[in-house]
Amino acid sequence: MAAPNQTAPAVADLLPRIRGYGWREALEAREATIAVVLVVMCTVMSIAYPQFRTLGNAQNILQAVAMTAIVGVGMTMVIVSGGIDVSVGSALSVCAVVVGMRLQDGAGVVEAIAVALAVGTAIGLLNGLLIGVGRIHSIIVTFGMLNILRVVSFKATGGKWLSGVPGSLSYFNDGTLLWLPFAWWMAMALGAVATYYLWRRPTGRHLYALGGNPETARLAGVAVLRRTIFVYAITGLFVGVASIVYVGGNTVIQTNVGVGFELRVIAAVVIGGTSILGGKGTVIGTLLGALLVGTIENALVVVNAKALYTGVILGGLILLTVGLDMLRRRARET
Amino acid sequence: MLLSLRGIDKRYFGVHALKSVDFDVGTAEVHALVGENGAGKSTLIKVIAGAEQPDEGEIFVDGEQVTIHSTQDAFRLGVATVYQEPQVFPDLSVVENVFLGRELRDAVGNVDAAAQRRRVRELLSELHLEPRLAGRRMGDLSLAEQQLVLICKALAQEARLIIYDEPSAILTQRETDTLFGVIRRLKERGVATIYISHRLEEIFEIAERVTIMKDGEVVATRPRRELTVGQVIELMAGRQLHAAHPREAPAGAAPALRVAGLTRSGHFEDVDFEVARGEIVGFFGLIGSGATDVAHAIYGIDPADSGTIELEGRKIRVGKPKQAVQHGIALLPKDRKTQGLFLPLPIDFNIAAGNYRLLSWLHAIVFRSRERAAARPLMKSLGVKAPGPGTQAGALSGGNQQKVLLARLLVGRPKVVILDEPTRGVDVDAKEEIHRLIFQLADGGTAVIVISSELPEALKLADRLIVVRSGRIHSVYRRGEVKSAAVLGAAIGDEGAVNGGSPDGGS
Repeated sequence: MAAPNQTAPAVADLLPRIRGYGWREALEAREATIAVVLVVMCTVMSIAYPQFRTLGNAQNILQAVAMTAIVGVGMTMVIVSGGIDVSVGSALSVCAVVVGMRLQDGAGVVEAIAVALAVGTAIGLLNGLLIGVGRIHSIIVTFGMLNILRVVSFKATGGKWLSGVPGSLSYFNDGTLLWLPFAWWMAMALGAVATYYLWRRPTGRHLYALGGNPETARLAGVAVLRRTIFVYAITGLFVGVASIVYVGGNTVIQTNVGVGFELRVIAAVVIGGTSILGGKGTVIGTLLGALLVGTIENALVVVNAKALYTGVILGGLILLTVGLDMLRRRARET
Repeated sequence: MLLSLRGIDKRYFGVHALKSVDFDVGTAEVHALVGENGAGKSTLIKVIAGAEQPDEGEIFVDGEQVTIHSTQDAFRLGVATVYQEPQVFPDLSVVENVFLGRELRDAVGNVDAAAQRRRVRELLSELHLEPRLAGRRMGDLSLAEQQLVLICKALAQEARLIIYDEPSAILTQRETDTLFGVIRRLKERGVATIYISHRLEEIFEIAERVTIMKDGEVVATRPRRELTVGQVIELMAGRQLHAAHPREAPAGAAPALRVAGLTRSGHFEDVDFEVARGEIVGFFGLIGSGATDVAHAIYGIDPADSGTIELEGRKIRVGKPKQAVQHGIALLPKDRKTQGLFLPLPIDFNIAAGNYRLLSWLHAIVFRSRERAAARPLMKSLGVKAPGPGTQAGALSGGNQQKVLLARLLVGRPKVVILDEPTRGVDVDAKEEIHRLIFQLADGGTAVIVISSELPEALKLADRLIVVRSGRIHSVYRRGEVKSAAVLGAAIGDEGAVNGGSPDGGS
């Protein structure tokens, strides 16, 4: 049958509101919003409070948010792939305690680092195996681990603080390189690698597919189990990195290290534009989110506000950013 | 032959879904597959697409025997399926949706985004589609556009056979035309098509050969030129004697429900009918004909724009389901899993749910004992097969789940019961039993409305059968008065091609 070629105009009608990705989409992205908020806030603060605009204060902010940012990079991958890891705070405390004890026993820098990374990765691997092989929901597994690991670190120290931990890792906490804290350089380096992975590697793209539509992803040939184990193991590895930063800055390690840390990390990720439902988000957004949280906390100290308000502002920020997302999504659907 | 199936046999849960089916598709052939609901089309497609394994039979591709264990296997053999509900990643771009899982890579193994984009734009232009579609977010596209992207995906994977499972059910006329243009262009490139649809005019426009299925068997495979629409309908309906169920419609009973001029724009128009006490009125129509929408309007889920509903001679207003329940109207929804049952909860809870006006003290305190007391006799009289009232609803078979829902409706002794596809997804025995319960219900004086897209069921149950087409009442038949082919013709829209129908009245 001779196909009349009348279909081409019909197709044009099918697509009334076509447009590519341009500067407008870039501006609409969450990363841009946060960057603008950050710049405005820093400008206002710098004009109003001279003590805010010192190199020392900038270093303080970066140093304070480095741990959140480092673990946030891993958490972004976890959440993008449709999971969550609430055990990172307790995992941090286990890593810190083990490293602290090794240092007390006279371990060198290299051994301390190796131990931190190994313990962190092992915990992450266990999470990943339980979730991937055991097919238990991530929030259940990591919530269980949150409680178990807390007890583990408590038992390891006999419930006492570790004091007199040698300061041999201190460079990782307050050392600077080209004016910026070394810890922040690590966060940026890990962030850059993760961004490349998520953006350009096929398996990185698969994480988005997994979070967006797991069943379709499986049918399309995504190695679901391997990707799942990978994201939790990587997050564990990054917790190990963060524990090095932590031990470097504290000669006394308390057993309540990292209580509530998971919430700070998840807050940074969510504020940075990663959808808590999975399938969407960037590491750059997470780094900016962590920076925003740190800057607000610092600003509150500078203006002499009560520390209590930090929680209000952090919570408000999460509700605001997530709420804006919902509104935008609804606007697009109508 | 590109694809040949020989002696494919498949049973599930006591249903003989495919009975020794032979089926062939030639290179670049457009082959239509038609049949009533439950005729076995979907099962056959699933076997070819690797979603189901046949119990017996052989599959050949290019004359070589193959086994298709998974959808991946089917892909590798060049078979791709476009389902009615597109399976997509809404937050990823069109390009990524096309290549996900089979990314093009550059020298160092990165995703070669530029090459992927080029390829998708090429494919889109080949299909005479807008190449700029490539950069869009998948979730921003309409269902029709998403289907077209999935066709590109099939082509990117070098598919030689694309299966379309009732694509036009969600497409507009214009979108269907676009799809047909695409199918013809693919044919020129040597790609074969299996096209499933209820709409015979579409089949006659696009297909070269037509295979007609009925009750899990292939009734006929013929070139389209040798067929008329009337013949296809006759073959689909078969010579089934819908053994007129020996049931006397109650004569002269007072109408329980009368609906006049009911209209909801875009869904149905000007619907008039009445149901007497003890009468079973059937609604038959294709999916999307509007019968379900009428039921939803009467039950207050999506109220009508205009028209009146009278219950036992009094005009009533039904703005939401709660009001319908208070008036004594009950609805068994089509999709019991999402609309009806609380699967993790026990049977007695499921039966009691929504009936707390009757089962509580001052609407405030619910007695588990009353829940049990209400559930037990109903479970017994409806023959729910379960260890006890505490069994989880999710553990029951489809037929028993349906009975639990039916029991819930009956707690409040409704005057009018509307059943939307009451036997969908249940096995043969349970189906018989549910039919028996429906007759009992009517014999007890309840006015019953049954919506069914399965013709034998509609013919068996209905004292009067109302055929709905495109949101209007097309014709009305009395029990035993009509051949199934005539009803099917009326619903599909080609009654002229069928001899022997005797539409009675109509609208």
